[in-house]
Amino acid sequence: MTTAGMRRGGIVLTVLGLAGLIALYWMCFFWVSTEVNQGVVQRIFYVHVPAAWTSFLAIGFAALASGMYLWLRDDRLDRAALCAIEGGLVFATLVLTTGPLWGKIAWGTYWTWEPRLTLTLLLWFIFVGYIMVRNSTEDPDKGKRFAAVVAIIGAMDIPFIHLSVVWFRSLHPEPVVAKPDGPTLPGDMLVTLLFGVLVFSLLFFGLFLFRYAVEALRAEADLRSRSTA
Amino acid sequence: MNTYLTQVWAILRKDLVLEIRSRERIGAMCAFAVLTGVLFNFSIDTTTVRPNEVATGLIWMTLIFGGLLGVGRTFHLESQDGALQGILMSPAPKDAIFLGKLIANFVLLYVVSLLVLGVFGLFFGIDLDRNLGWVVFVLGIGSLGFVAVGTLFAAVAAGTHLRETLLPVLVFPLMVPMVIYGVGAMTPLVSGRPFTEVEGNVRMLGAFALAAVAAGAVLFRYVVED
Amino acid sequence: MIMKNIVLRSLLLSLAGLAVTSAVTFAQEAAGVPPQVNRLAEQNLRAYWHVFAAYALVILMIGGWVISIARRLRAIEDRGVE
Repeated sequence: MTTAGMRRGGIVLTVLGLAGLIALYWMCFFWVSTEVNQGVVQRIFYVHVPAAWTSFLAIGFAALASGMYLWLRDDRLDRAALCAIEGGLVFATLVLTTGPLWGKIAWGTYWTWEPRLTLTLLLWFIFVGYIMVRNSTEDPDKGKRFAAVVAIIGAMDIPFIHLSVVWFRSLHPEPVVAKPDGPTLPGDMLVTLLFGVLVFSLLFFGLFLFRYAVEALRAEADLRSRSTA
Repeated sequence: MNTYLTQVWAILRKDLVLEIRSRERIGAMCAFAVLTGVLFNFSIDTTTVRPNEVATGLIWMTLIFGGLLGVGRTFHLESQDGALQGILMSPAPKDAIFLGKLIANFVLLYVVSLLVLGVFGLFFGIDLDRNLGWVVFVLGIGSLGFVAVGTLFAAVAAGTHLRETLLPVLVFPLMVPMVIYGVGAMTPLVSGRPFTEVEGNVRMLGAFALAAVAAGAVLFRYVVED
Repeated sequence: MIMKNIVLRSLLLSLAGLAVTSAVTFAQEAAGVPPQVNRLAEQNLRAYWHVFAAYALVILMIGGWVISIARRLRAIEDRGVE
C-alpha cells in the first residue's frame, strides 16, 4: 500500500470508528438495559473493556512487528511497532482512568491492587519504557533495536505478570464473555459490548494507519533532507 | 559445545577476577544492602507491624535495589576505551558473552543476597533455623531471574544517553512476578511451613528465570550489534 | 362542634402517624438499617457523574491522539515546503 493510500485508508477507518463511537454512546445511553446490581455505573464497562482489549492487541501486535523487525530489518516493521505502541499507550491510559471511575462506585475505592488493573498499569509502564528507550539514543537504528527488545521482553512477561497478580489477589468481576460454557451477559449488553470492541478496534486500526502514514512521511522527509544536506 | 563453554568461562573468569581485585561493585552492593537494612529498621513502626513478618518482603526489595546498583554497571568498565568492541569482535558468539556476563552477575548478586539474608535475619529477628536450605535455594532462583533481565537491560541502558537512570523504568515492571512469587515462597518458608506448600510458587519463579535467561541469550545479539 | 371534632381528630391522627414513623425510623437506625431511599438516590447521581466523566475521557484521549498526529503531519508538511 502506498503512503497516500494508507493515509486515506486510515482516515476512512477513523471516520467509521468515530461514527461508531457516536452510535456506541447512543446505545449506552438510550438502548442497553441497566444492570440490576451495579446500576448506571456499569455502563462504563462498554468503553472500559474494549479499551483494555485494544491495548493488549497493541502490545501483541507491537511485539510481533518488533520480532519481525529484528529478523528482517525492514524499517516499515519498526514503524508499525512504534505506532501500535503509541495507540496502546492511549488505550491503556483510558483503561486506567475509566477503571477507577467505575471502581469508586462499585468497590468504594479508586484504586485496588486488583490483578487486571495491576496488569494494565504494568503494561502502561512497558509502553512508556518503549518510548523512553527509543528517544534516548543518538543513533536512531540503535534506538529501534533497543525498543524492539523492550517490546518483545514486555510481551513475554505479560503472561507471568498476569499469573502472578491473579495469584496475589482477586477482586475483579469474573470474565462475562470469554468463558468455556458461553457468555453469561444478557443479550443486549453482549451486543453493546461486542459493538464497543468493534468500534475501538476500528479506531485503533484507523488511527494506527494514519499515524503510520505520518511516520512514513517523516522518514521520507528525513531521507530527503539528509541527501540534500 | 566445549569451545562454547570455554568462551563462557573466559568472560566469566575475566569479570570475576576483575571484581575480586577491584571489589568495586560488590563493596558498593554490600554496603547498600546493610545500610538499607538499617534504614528499613527505622522506617517500620514496631508498635503496629512486627518486623519479622515484613522482613521477607524487605529482603526482596533490597535484593532488587542492590542488584540494580551492581547489574547496572555490568557494561560500565567495557564502555570505556572501546573495550566492549574488543570483546564483541572476539570469535565468541554473542550469547556466550551474555551468559558469561550473566553468570558473573549472578555470582555477585547471590553473594550479596546471602549477606542480605544473614543481616536482615539478625536485624529483624527472622528464624533461619527452619528451611534454611530452601530459603537459600529460592533466593538463588530469584537472583538468577533478576540478573537475566537486568543484564540484558543493562546492555540496553548502556547504549542510551540516560544510562543507568533508564534501568528502573525498564526493569521494575518486569520484576513484579519475581517479587510476588519470591515473597510468596519465602514468607511461608521462614515461618516454618513445609516446602511442598510453596512448590508452585518456586516452580513459577524457576520458569520466569529460565524464560528470562533464554530470551536474554537470544536477544542480546541485537542489543550489542553495530 | 363537628368541625372542631374533625380538626382535633386529624391533628391526633397526624401526631400518631408522626410518632409511628419516627419510632420505625428510630428502630431502624437502632437496628443498623440505613435510610435506604436517600443513599440510593445519592449513589445514582454520583454514578451518572462517573459515567459521563469516563465517556468524556474516551473522547478526549482519542481526540487528543488524532490532534497530535495531525500536528505532526503538518510539521512534516511544513518542513517539506521549505
